[in-house]
Amino acid sequence: MTTRSILLIEDNPDDEALTLRAFKKNKIRNEIVVMRDGAEALAYLLPDSGGGVPLPAVVLLDLNLPKIGGLEVLRRVRADARTALIPVVVLTSSKLEEDILDSYRNGANAYVRKPVNFADFAEAIITLGVFWLLMNEPVPSLGPEGD
Amino acid sequence: MTPLASLPDRTFVALLEAAPDALVCIAGDGRVVLVNAQAERLFGYKREELIGQLVEILIPDAARAVHPEHRAGYVADPQHRPMGAGMPLAGRRRDASTFSAEVTLSAIDTGEGVLLTAAIRDVTAKLATKDLERSSQSLESFVYTVSHDLRAPLRALSGYSGALLEEYGGVLGEEGRGYAERIVAVSEQMGRLIDYLLQLSRISRAELNLQSVDLGGEAAQIAEELQRTEPRRHVCFAIEKPVQALADRRLIRTALQDLLNNAWKFTSGRDDALIEFGTAPSGDAAVCCYVRDNGVGFDPAYAGKLFQPFQRLHPARDFPGDGTGLASVRQIVERHGGQVWAEGAVGAGATFYFTLNGKESA
Repeated sequence: MTTRSILLIEDNPDDEALTLRAFKKNKIRNEIVVMRDGAEALAYLLPDSGGGVPLPAVVLLDLNLPKIGGLEVLRRVRADARTALIPVVVLTSSKLEEDILDSYRNGANAYVRKPVNFADFAEAIITLGVFWLLMNEPVPSLGPEGD
Repeated sequence: MTPLASLPDRTFVALLEAAPDALVCIAGDGRVVLVNAQAERLFGYKREELIGQLVEILIPDAARAVHPEHRAGYVADPQHRPMGAGMPLAGRRRDASTFSAEVTLSAIDTGEGVLLTAAIRDVTAKLATKDLERSSQSLESFVYTVSHDLRAPLRALSGYSGALLEEYGGVLGEEGRGYAERIVAVSEQMGRLIDYLLQLSRISRAELNLQSVDLGGEAAQIAEELQRTEPRRHVCFAIEKPVQALADRRLIRTALQDLLNNAWKFTSGRDDALIEFGTAPSGDAAVCCYVRDNGVGFDPAYAGKLFQPFQRLHPARDFPGDGTGLASVRQIVERHGGQVWAEGAVGAGATFYFTLNGKESA
């Protein structure tokens, strides 16, 4: 596997624990960075200094987040050149049509509803991890130091 | 002498009486000069009791003191406008009871002084409808939030039970593993029930997009899909088409899906399964359709329970399901102003009828 990280933006400690467990059980050893609300996530991805962070292979974004909601996080991530192209998967309990539409309208790359069943949940997480870490061709880095 | 002395000819009075609202005309000094029958009815006064009185007699006690000042302000700058500028208004009846009112003011310059007309409408019922709309909206958002929030702990229940099974399965022993598996299963079941609640609340509030739909064509598509899910089953479909009806395509398709799934499920024991879709005499309704199968049927004594949510007439181990399909069929059909009922007998198949009225139910 590549060494790129996964950014998990999730406020529910149980979902966090079960997501981390699913990765670990399936030998995905990439770093999983966890942010527990929207403000924290934005401060991480878009530091005020204007610099960037090494971009994660994918952002797994919950919609229902404290402080700044998931959709707003998505909007701001898309509006900033540093993160505009980063893959974002919305991972949420909601299957409300408005939420799905709003997510795609604001530039989500995928929308996955968290299954209740533990095996289905684990499979969803693994599929996402494998796809975005292994199969997906990442965005070429555009900076002067890019190769 | 009132400025109206020369006015009340027959046309004018007829116009006044024909107006849908209660009308009260007052002179510049605030005294009532004319009312119509609607005003008599609304306020409970006879007109001779009102003529010559200050209009404040019709204002509830709480607002009466400030009214003459407002009235004078309007006389100074009379423009046709609703009264109260967004404030809730009320009228006072003869028996001192009050009602919510909408009041529109206008002024006529008669040449002998200004004549003010107030058109008054009792909006008690309208406000009640608004309250109802608001509370049904907040119920919808409540159901949404609750169902959303309930899924998270369910995921945790299922997830940690699964972790127990995977990591401590050996320690748990067979019985322990059985318990953990049941926690997983019931969490999942509860997840489906929550989804169903969400669905019901959305069906009941969905805006119907009525268009001409070929119900037979939809049924045929669903039949094909069912056949693909279990290619080894041999089921004969007899589907009448086209059957045109005015309906919301998405909702009515969901209803047909539930009915045909049901027929598919309850004929699973037969190798000569027959599922029919067709039309029956519709009576007063625009169309009457049925879905008939030759499956296990049901005891007619319990027919009333069929359409209630979470009711099942067959053990889950024989025929899996939550008992939610027919309940949402009923809700969809009723949204279309139709009715649904069932006929059947144990071992003799079942027929589900529904009517549509080509319009949205009130």
